[in-house]
Amino acid sequence: MTNLDHGKFTRVTTTFHSLLALDVFLLFFTGYSLTFNDELWWLLTLMGGAEGVTALHRVAGFGLISLIGFWAILMLTTDTGRSNFRAIVPTGDDVRAFIQDVQFVLGNADERHPNAKQFAGGDHESIPLLSYIGKGVVFIFAIELFLLTISGLLIWSKTGLMQYFGTKTAAMAFVVFHGLLGVIMLMGVMFHVFEHGFHPAFYPVEPKAFIPRELIPETHADGDISDLTLAPSWNTVSNVMGALTVVGIVSVMIGSIFDEGYPVPRELTVGGGPEHLLLTVGINAGIFVLFVGLVLSMYGNLLRVRWERRLEEERESGRTTATDGGTPDD
Amino acid sequence: MSYESDLPETSSYSPTAVAISAVGGIALALVSVWWAAGTAVFYEGLFRISPTVDGGGVGTDWVVGNTVPWLDFLIAFIHAADVLMGLFILLMVFVHWGAFRRLAAQMQDPEEERREAVATDGGETE
Repeated sequence: MTNLDHGKFTRVTTTFHSLLALDVFLLFFTGYSLTFNDELWWLLTLMGGAEGVTALHRVAGFGLISLIGFWAILMLTTDTGRSNFRAIVPTGDDVRAFIQDVQFVLGNADERHPNAKQFAGGDHESIPLLSYIGKGVVFIFAIELFLLTISGLLIWSKTGLMQYFGTKTAAMAFVVFHGLLGVIMLMGVMFHVFEHGFHPAFYPVEPKAFIPRELIPETHADGDISDLTLAPSWNTVSNVMGALTVVGIVSVMIGSIFDEGYPVPRELTVGGGPEHLLLTVGINAGIFVLFVGLVLSMYGNLLRVRWERRLEEERESGRTTATDGGTPDD
Repeated sequence: MSYESDLPETSSYSPTAVAISAVGGIALALVSVWWAAGTAVFYEGLFRISPTVDGGGVGTDWVVGNTVPWLDFLIAFIHAADVLMGLFILLMVFVHWGAFRRLAAQMQDPEEERREAVATDGGETE
């Protein structure tokens, strides 16, 4: 494994990230098999129909509130947590990083702004904890998760909600609002999967979010990106995943405009019409991107386990061979 | 664990803070769900749409029979937010896709490395 100036998150942060990802993926798979039930009928059936899926969705919702509560308390009660607030506040440099990224793609800039760099090479001090995208992700996902939790709790018991609003349609409208609200996050997560899985230097997954900084030695790679070798499959795989990500985002965006009835009919109906076939393919492409994200998240954790094992082996061999003055091999 | 002993000291969260936050998080979830659920958690069946219901029953679009104007606005607003954020996220995907392609072009070609590997036994590289 290359040492790419990664190891910026604590072990608690990396574990939290994995648990949050698992929980949010489960919420997406259950929630959107309800909202887009005619496109994702197979997913709905696979998870036990409307009854099974709503139960799973509630279990995952409970998990989400626990995780949000855990994180909020930890951030407020610890020095490390409070000190991180400064690191996530967007600055003028983040705006400049976005503009420079556009320039970079157009060929008008030679390199990416430090606030955009995922690959830091040898110059790690100048690279902030989070890129401008990372800061955006923290803020947008935090606001989304908060609003989704509040609206989700409101519709947890429809009869309870009706006590407040007096009509069934108000309760149904809240269900629609909750589903449409999640679409922003659904699209954001597809982009997040693409951004952190298909950077050429980190392909197939960026280890920053999985290997905690306490396990990364303080020495950093000297070279820059031109010293690295591109994976042979990167070109094909990143193009396919980029296309699927775009198709997925466009499809759930269009689907969110059409699907605003009460999400789950009593009897499942597979939608008709050729234009609907396109939407069905597209939304399934988006769900596939999420599945890839789930697999990459598990792979990231596998990398951590391997990394820990390798460190342990190095310590072991260090103790046995270094006694006679030799240096342990890498 | 042994392999961590000579790694650098990094500031992290204390186990107590983590434990307290975990208990707090679960407590918050329990209270929220208890509040939201009231006495009946599973009332889904009551509201499941029957597509055969005609003209404004539970089975129709939520708009029919809606008497709360700001719910209308809320949903129109979130539709607009979906589209605007969707276009913005698409722009971000394209910018990053393009940036990744430029970065990949700066990296070593996998073919090149194979040629270099051949060169160790005396072959010539370009």
